[in-house]
Amino acid sequence: MLVVQVSTILEWLNRFRLEPRPMIRTASCRFTVAMLLICATVIYGQDPLSGRIDQLIEAKVNGKVAGPASDAEFLRRSYLDLNGIVPTAAQVRSFLADKNPQKRSKLIDQLLNNDAYSRRLREAFTVMLLERRTGSTVPIGQWNSFLETSFASNKPWDKIVREIIQADASNDQTQGTLKFFTATGRTVHDQLTQDVARLFLGMNIHCAKCHDHPTVDEFKQADYFGLLAFLNQSKAAKHTAKNQTFLVEGVATGKLEFQSVFSPDEKDQVGPRLPGGKEVAVPVFEKGEELSQPAADGLPGIPKFQPRQILAKELTSASNRRFVENSVNRFWYLMMGRGLVHPLEMMHAENPASHPELLKLLAEEFVAHKFDVKWLLGVLARTRVYQRASLLPAGVVIQEITPESYRVANAKGMTPEQTAWSIMRVTGVLDEIIKKERPEDSGFNVKDYINGRIPAPDNLIDTMLLFTSIFGNPPGEAEVEFQPSMGQALFLMNEKLILDWLKPGKGRFIGRLEEMKDFQQVARELFATVLARNPSDQETNDFLQHLEKNSMRRTAAISEYAWALITSAEFKLNH
Amino acid sequence: MHPFQCHSPQHELSRRQVLGTFAGLGAGSLLSPLVANEIKSKQKQVLLIWLDGGMSQLESWDPKPGTEFGGPFRSIPTTLPGIHVSELMPHTAQQMQHIAVVRSMCTKDENHSSGVPRILRGDPKNRGVTYPYMGAAMSHLKGKSDNELPNYIWVKPGSGGFIWQHGGFLGAKYGALALGDGKPPVHINRPPGIDDQRDQVRNEIRKRLNKSFQKGRRSAEVEAYDYSFQMAEKLIRRKDLFADFTPKELERYGSHPLGRHILQSKRLIEEGVLFVQCHSYHWDTHADNFNMHLDLVPQIDKPFAALIEDWHQSGLLDNVLVLLMSEFGRTPKINQRLGRDHWPEAWSLAMAGCGLNRGLVLGKTTPNGAWVDDQEYDIGHIFHTVFKAMDIDPSTTEYHNNGQPLPIAHDDYGPIKELLA
Repeated sequence: MLVVQVSTILEWLNRFRLEPRPMIRTASCRFTVAMLLICATVIYGQDPLSGRIDQLIEAKVNGKVAGPASDAEFLRRSYLDLNGIVPTAAQVRSFLADKNPQKRSKLIDQLLNNDAYSRRLREAFTVMLLERRTGSTVPIGQWNSFLETSFASNKPWDKIVREIIQADASNDQTQGTLKFFTATGRTVHDQLTQDVARLFLGMNIHCAKCHDHPTVDEFKQADYFGLLAFLNQSKAAKHTAKNQTFLVEGVATGKLEFQSVFSPDEKDQVGPRLPGGKEVAVPVFEKGEELSQPAADGLPGIPKFQPRQILAKELTSASNRRFVENSVNRFWYLMMGRGLVHPLEMMHAENPASHPELLKLLAEEFVAHKFDVKWLLGVLARTRVYQRASLLPAGVVIQEITPESYRVANAKGMTPEQTAWSIMRVTGVLDEIIKKERPEDSGFNVKDYINGRIPAPDNLIDTMLLFTSIFGNPPGEAEVEFQPSMGQALFLMNEKLILDWLKPGKGRFIGRLEEMKDFQQVARELFATVLARNPSDQETNDFLQHLEKNSMRRTAAISEYAWALITSAEFKLNH
Repeated sequence: MHPFQCHSPQHELSRRQVLGTFAGLGAGSLLSPLVANEIKSKQKQVLLIWLDGGMSQLESWDPKPGTEFGGPFRSIPTTLPGIHVSELMPHTAQQMQHIAVVRSMCTKDENHSSGVPRILRGDPKNRGVTYPYMGAAMSHLKGKSDNELPNYIWVKPGSGGFIWQHGGFLGAKYGALALGDGKPPVHINRPPGIDDQRDQVRNEIRKRLNKSFQKGRRSAEVEAYDYSFQMAEKLIRRKDLFADFTPKELERYGSHPLGRHILQSKRLIEEGVLFVQCHSYHWDTHADNFNMHLDLVPQIDKPFAALIEDWHQSGLLDNVLVLLMSEFGRTPKINQRLGRDHWPEAWSLAMAGCGLNRGLVLGKTTPNGAWVDDQEYDIGHIFHTVFKAMDIDPSTTEYHNNGQPLPIAHDDYGPIKELLA
């Protein structure tokens, strides 16, 4: 029989807002309850794996757990996580009114299969993999198109990474992958080696360039040089006839020599080798025999031995535990707000996963499902841990609850992209901005704009550029934790563009509200649009009072209120 | 940029100088004139100048010319009889009568990533909680001052923001307000149509919403977000703090980033900010140590000496503690790339002002500079000394973290008695 924890069942019953009765706790009811739970699994479409994830999390909670998120909270959270934008007021109303007990599961499927899904994943992984590095060698549009079509067709994750490392520019479909290797700062092999280790293997081996990591036994200098040996022959070169950039490899001649700065007299050497993997022998060819294809059109000849191509295959292999675990850890982080291993790039024995068995389980299942990204996100979205409320359970103080216990939902900061999309949607400018084509010679840049030298952006690309410049980190700095800044607050307070968006106009939010005669309805529309929920009575009264005090300037007063909602923590946090 | 510099975020600052939140200011964006030399408050304050990556003690405070590890630079006499410093510090050599140097720092961590926070948190014993940075601690212990500015401001190259993590267990609101490249964000200026009254009304609604959202939730994120708005409001009222420096100031302090950042820090202290931390990066000289120090040390020597001289003359040095330090020193042994590596075993720092005894050199290293010979000090001693100078008694003051009493400084150590008047 299914072994079911009483707390799990009570929580499930709570979904229907039933009072738990003492009889539930008696053993004689166990069977009935187990049956109920199986029904629930069927009703909610919960994947059996989702249930196992919850068991592993709940086995370690050590205290009361928050109840399930309300429909409104769940709706907003899954829109932001899977589609990168808040829902519209109409979507909020229709979801809240829907009586179908399977509506959450249906919503997850819907959000995993629309256009916004592939855009959201493209944005999330562009930020994660490029870390806002720029560069003109490969246009960002090519990279975007590669990632977006990959996520849209649900290309297996190992294949996506393999293609990024292979960086095959001769194929239109994968041309954009070159961005990873050619982004500003990455043309230095040192940076590239560090970034490949950090982003695909969960290893920050910065220190290992000069010596073994002083405090992390697992991060060796040989790991750094082994990885470097896969990459140090690669560089960008231009095909003269096609005027197109290729990532070419030189001829590797042997192992790399290195020495620790702590013991400069001891020299060591290593060939291409993945951390924890087997060294690849570098073949020695007769002089003149190294190439399989001679140099042509400005591109150097193609060597018979191409270590980066070997890396692409070996690194993304299902048997590379580090790659698989790092991958699931990062998908988990996207959904749950922190990694099972955290920080994400410190995956080693001395910093174990908060739930080691869970990490192992997810890694195994991800491999068994052939690195199916949609499947994995769907499984995570259907867990109770994902669908937990952000409100603390009654009688529990926050100091008792660590983020890695997942006893309440961990709040995530909206990403710069989510912020931009959501503010555009809320204020009602989204459609006009999307429709507006970016002029070829736009020349928009943020510095000139905020110093008043050029007009405000009116198209999607330039508007996103403005938002990501204000809300994003500098190039090369990962965006993992919520880091509010005064500069961002000042932008929301004083940026003319935002305030203009909050003026009445055709199709605009304030224009729509201005026309409503019933102020209660205005309050409902305000809260549903910005916060994806209904206002409480107290909140409605607060709004009505504000209108009353400003009855001579009602439109401006509505606009002020909308501004306050947009700048509230409830809007900024994906809770 | 130097080819051998490390590139980790711990000791290099980002490339965002022109884009984004803290973008360069256009002409006319700063309005008010500045009354820089007016001392607005007699409260005690701290300026911590941090040379991230680790300045070499042998090329600065503790030269050992002509010895095995001494390197190529000579030493020069100072205003203190018998005391020499590196020839790279001619200006500071003339101000030594106002400064106290500790040559016998011996700390534990040789990593930047853990060493920087460990030193800046005072390396208390492991209590299972994250201690606040010195600035956050001071902000908490001294309480709110009567001026409008945040208690803890961090002037740094690269990007700015609100670095709430510095607050440790004290909470987000004790974090640092970081001014990227020492500059305020361009959005400090209000657009037409928003006056003080409208701004206040809309912010009051925002605060009410935050208060009700925070009820029953994890508060750190909401508090940090709310605080970023509070600071924005305060800063809007104080645009005059960021007016251009005069040619004379730049001549005395240097027009390079460190010179400007020390000038900006000086201005913030003079305006009454309780604790200013001023960061310089790129001191991690694993290779080409001597050329790099030849380039770097003058960038701190001149503005540091100018600051001490100016504040001595204006009397401000009586109330302000200036602390100049890194997370560790550099190895006596010169590596094969002519670099010096991380060396926490024996290094130097300097302190001045706020009632500390002046014109002192404490502690001694062995003749080859490798080890502490006498009067070994830990970062815990420095925290005790700083607290004492700031009229906070670590023997009677403690933190309370959810009912758990915690010492404010390492309880195996005490203040450096020779420094206390």
